[in-house]
Amino acid sequence: MLLFVTRRLMFALALLLAVSLFTYLLFAMLPSDPAALTCSKNCKPEIIEANRIRLGYDKPILEQYWLFLKGIFVGRDYGVGQAAFSCPAPSLGYSYGQHECVTTLIARTFPVTAYLSIGAFILWMTLGISLGSIAALKRGRWQDRAATTFSAVGVSLPTFYIGLLVLFSFCIWLRILPFPSYESPFVDPKSFFLTMLLPWLTLAVLSAASYTRLTRNGMLEAMNEDFVRLGIAKGLRRRTILRRYVLRSALVPIVTIAGLDFAALLGGAIITESVFSLPGMGRMSIRAVVDSDLPVLVGTTMVAAVFIVLANVIVDIMYGVLDPRVRTK
Amino acid sequence: MSQPPLLSVEGLTVSFDTPDGVVHAVSGVSFELQAGQTLGIVGESGSGKSVTASSILRLNNSTTSSTTGRVLLDGRDVLGLSDDEMRAVRGRDVAMVFQDPLSALNPYYSVGDQIAEAFLVHHPKATAQEVRERVLGMLEKVGIPNPEKRIDEYPHQFSGGMRQRIVIAIALINSPRVLIADEPTTALDVTVQAQILDLMLDLQKETNMAIILITHDLGVVAEVADAALVMYGGRIVEQADVVSIFRQPTHPYSWGLLGAVGSLDTSTRGHLSTIPGTPPSLISIPSGCSFHPRCGHALGAGSACTTKVPDLRAVTGTTSKSACHLTDEQLVSIGRREVLQ
Amino acid sequence: MTKRRIIGAVSFALVASLVAASCGGDSGSDGGGDGEPKKGGTIRILSSGEQIAHLDPQRNYTGTDLAFAGSTMHRSLTSYKYEAGDAGSEIEGDLATDTGTVSNEGKTWSFTLRDGITFEDGSAITCADVAYGVSRSFATDTITDGPSYAVTYIDVEDYPGPYKATAEQQAAYDKAVACEGNTITFNLKNPVADFNYTTTLLTFSPVPKASDTGEKYDMSPVSSGPYKIESYEIGKALVLVRNENWNEDSDPLRKAYPDSIIYEFGLEEATIDERMIADVGDDQFAVAEGIQPENLQTIFEGDEALKSRAIDYYDPYVSYTNLNNERLSCYEVRKAIYLAIDRDALRKAGGGPYTGDYADGFVKPALALDYAQSTMPEGLNEDGTANVEAAKAAVAEAETKCPDVVKLAQDGMNFYYPDTPVWQKALAIWQSNMEAIGFSIKPEAVEPSNYWPTVMNPETEYDIVRGGWAPDWANASTVIPELFTTGGGFNLTRNSKDPDYAEFEGLVNEARVNLDRVAQGKQWQELNQYVVDRLWALPGTFLKSQSIWGSKVGNTFQWGPFGAFCFGNLYVK
Repeated sequence: MLLFVTRRLMFALALLLAVSLFTYLLFAMLPSDPAALTCSKNCKPEIIEANRIRLGYDKPILEQYWLFLKGIFVGRDYGVGQAAFSCPAPSLGYSYGQHECVTTLIARTFPVTAYLSIGAFILWMTLGISLGSIAALKRGRWQDRAATTFSAVGVSLPTFYIGLLVLFSFCIWLRILPFPSYESPFVDPKSFFLTMLLPWLTLAVLSAASYTRLTRNGMLEAMNEDFVRLGIAKGLRRRTILRRYVLRSALVPIVTIAGLDFAALLGGAIITESVFSLPGMGRMSIRAVVDSDLPVLVGTTMVAAVFIVLANVIVDIMYGVLDPRVRTK
Repeated sequence: MSQPPLLSVEGLTVSFDTPDGVVHAVSGVSFELQAGQTLGIVGESGSGKSVTASSILRLNNSTTSSTTGRVLLDGRDVLGLSDDEMRAVRGRDVAMVFQDPLSALNPYYSVGDQIAEAFLVHHPKATAQEVRERVLGMLEKVGIPNPEKRIDEYPHQFSGGMRQRIVIAIALINSPRVLIADEPTTALDVTVQAQILDLMLDLQKETNMAIILITHDLGVVAEVADAALVMYGGRIVEQADVVSIFRQPTHPYSWGLLGAVGSLDTSTRGHLSTIPGTPPSLISIPSGCSFHPRCGHALGAGSACTTKVPDLRAVTGTTSKSACHLTDEQLVSIGRREVLQ
Repeated sequence: MTKRRIIGAVSFALVASLVAASCGGDSGSDGGGDGEPKKGGTIRILSSGEQIAHLDPQRNYTGTDLAFAGSTMHRSLTSYKYEAGDAGSEIEGDLATDTGTVSNEGKTWSFTLRDGITFEDGSAITCADVAYGVSRSFATDTITDGPSYAVTYIDVEDYPGPYKATAEQQAAYDKAVACEGNTITFNLKNPVADFNYTTTLLTFSPVPKASDTGEKYDMSPVSSGPYKIESYEIGKALVLVRNENWNEDSDPLRKAYPDSIIYEFGLEEATIDERMIADVGDDQFAVAEGIQPENLQTIFEGDEALKSRAIDYYDPYVSYTNLNNERLSCYEVRKAIYLAIDRDALRKAGGGPYTGDYADGFVKPALALDYAQSTMPEGLNEDGTANVEAAKAAVAEAETKCPDVVKLAQDGMNFYYPDTPVWQKALAIWQSNMEAIGFSIKPEAVEPSNYWPTVMNPETEYDIVRGGWAPDWANASTVIPELFTTGGGFNLTRNSKDPDYAEFEGLVNEARVNLDRVAQGKQWQELNQYVVDRLWALPGTFLKSQSIWGSKVGNTFQWGPFGAFCFGNLYVK
């Protein structure tokens, strides 16, 4: 187990290095000029050049990368004289667009993304697995057809438009909910809840669609297993069989996909955050792309990568917990 | 034989609705079983033998199948029981062993859990200690070495033969009165097959349970059964005690089967492919005697063999029953000749 | 805001209002009948932006941001009057008691500070604070994106701003921007007749040295106006509350009606429109700039009540086309190009009539003193369509006069365009228009963010380049010289070798230093016509914008110089 963890950690570190280096190199190859993009008026060549120096893009890309790596361990200093300031370790750099150290920005935006993801995840897993189970149990009946239709439609619906539709319906046309305005749950729990309700539901309903299908198909497959017949022959209750035999075996592939989906969400639920104006990391990262804000881009990418790596480890562990055949190998 | 039978199946008929049409899996099957007795049901795949067995426990899909007739257990028709009553029968009065021990065990739980589960469902008040002791005892009884250690292991950690022993342990944990074994040895190595059969017989002696052994292997029947049913196309074609079925078979299909058993070639031993032709489709069963297209003794087109379903009748001069349009004399004489070959 | 981005990198800001004049009083000023403006309540601003581009006064530059920050937090030496219509383009002393005193033939400007002016901590604003604020704009490596007029005008060499300056450099600056009691004096390199308009820019706002955090000051600038920051989170909101230390008596301009102002960021544009149209709850107290094209009809051509809460107005921008006069050095060829362009089709490609009206020059009517209707080239169709016949006639004329240039135009003119869908459509129109008169286009697509750097590079051999401009203050001195003289910040016409250029530059320099504003205006009118007569660039469109406000917001006039709401004077009905 120790070996497993160590190996995983080493791998994760190597991956993070690769991801950050790749982002730097990719950024260097982009056709747009970040120095030109971030200068507003009077974009004369000499001003663009000065801007390039200020932003640090004048240095060779590998040197920029080295400074970035160093910053993670020792922090980074910027400016001179009275205008001097620093981003303490672990520093992921400084965003001139947002006037803030990237680490601070991530610390501020990530919780929003996390709350959104966790809430939506719980909802969609519950919804998806429940609907999928009902569909499997009522195979061929109207419940099944309803769930299958939901799943087929849900998978193909565009989050952006559905999000807007939901938002407009509840907050503008029906006026059931106040217009979302994000507040930390520790500051104003009620406002937090009311704001997150629609994004949670939207994300959950749309994501639940594919989990409904997964659960349904997994359960139907499991129902044909011999061990399920043996369970019945034992005289077990239907409920017990569904839980311990059918759902349990349908769950294994679901856990894998759910883990990765959840990790991807933690990397930033870009569309949902945009539609519902949530100040999360996803929106920040997409903005960084538009503004060519390399430090933010690298920072958010690395955070996303961390979660993908973590999710993989957790999925592996979950696999072991769920399936003894994996555990003892 | 004067006491009422433990299990009595009367006119069991099962059909399934499928997208391709109605499958007539079992038609008018009747038999009786006494405590301590072993009945072998023999037939090719698709002969209706497995459906007959699973109908006793009502394991067929309730939405797509329809079952008529009666299955009397101690005089009580299980087909008329409520779902709760039926559940009480399953695993307690009647238990089942499946063909493939590799897939019959739930891979997600330890074998101990699965045996305990079977016990607990019918003994909800048992303490954890009692259950554990019972399970350990059962593991020992079915011949799992080192049960204390292995009780917490998972199915994939056991060999095929060991897994079948565990399936048997599950089946026998509640000391059922009827054990239905659906091809219990087919998936196992030849050497293991005998061990498993011996185990079942030993346990039978101990508990006096009745066994229904479903197999396509007449050799197995010869080793363990008291009586035999031969099924073809969803019907019983011959019913006899185990001695008669080998000495004096009274149905052309049985003759074919016995020919196959006699082969020394183990690769074909017991396999019915030695009878020319293929088993009938249960969606469109041949008219008359369903065996007639493959029967070397059929009476030809337009005869009773192609127009009338033969009744299962006692064959004069034997203790057997046969469903064949040949005369009793023909059945006895040809049967004797076939066996002598 | 999208349009602002398209027009791009170059120039933002001011123009006098022609809203009342041109929009037929559509709703330039808030209709009466709602009673007098009163104090209290919260005004909301709904924005799709993630933040105020810069809240640091020396870095603040775009029209809306200047109008917002100037009217709420940052006072400057002078300011435009907080009024609708042409009056909004007139200036008045803000921190200064008056609009300044000029001497030394326009090279020395002095302003005397008012009594009672304070920062948000209650400390008095001194001359040194203003001088320090101005000095920050010299630190172009830290205080970026702001106007560079102070650097250009003030008579000090090699001053790197306060952060890096040596003692000598600082002394030199302190001499150029001198404080004597509460009078601040600017010594300029050259005469600047309208320097007191320059001082409306927030470059001339005070910054307390002790609070200056350089680059980071943007997030927490110290207020000198009636509101201060309560919270500012990028991507979420900026909340302004009353600055209790603001002395109302010291401020003749700001009325400071609402108790607080909330700037909401990061909203989808579709959401903003929907909320504004619905006019529910807090949104009744909201204003929003920019309306999505798909909602314009609903708002302006439907329900009267809705229409009365919105405005379709001329913003400060003019769009036009630069020609490379070194290569297309023949008037007849340039005229042929202009007559052959289907401006109507181009406008349709850009969004139709709501994008604006055909321009007759480079100075918008909003600059009332500097604008006069131009005489356009003969044969130019007023409805914006191409006049192929007249264009062909011009080509024929050119054939005899300058066959080389005609040949160049026929062989293919280098057409540099930003690689965006709108410009791809425009390219197709240009190609077919030029083909109709035997000319041809060589398209050169440029990655959008690199467009201006590319075309501003003297090495780039273009023939046709887009242009867009807004004056920096209500004076064509920030238009004609910027666009058409060699010293201008945005001259892409390469007209310096034109035989008339020397004369033109002489006339521009005369106009620049003319302290008689009305006479100066006349000069700009003539110079605008001078350029139109030579077609160094081709006038395109006087652009329009649209804004909308909630039913309970008053004083919603568009502030001419900025093409934006006069945010600080909005009030809750």
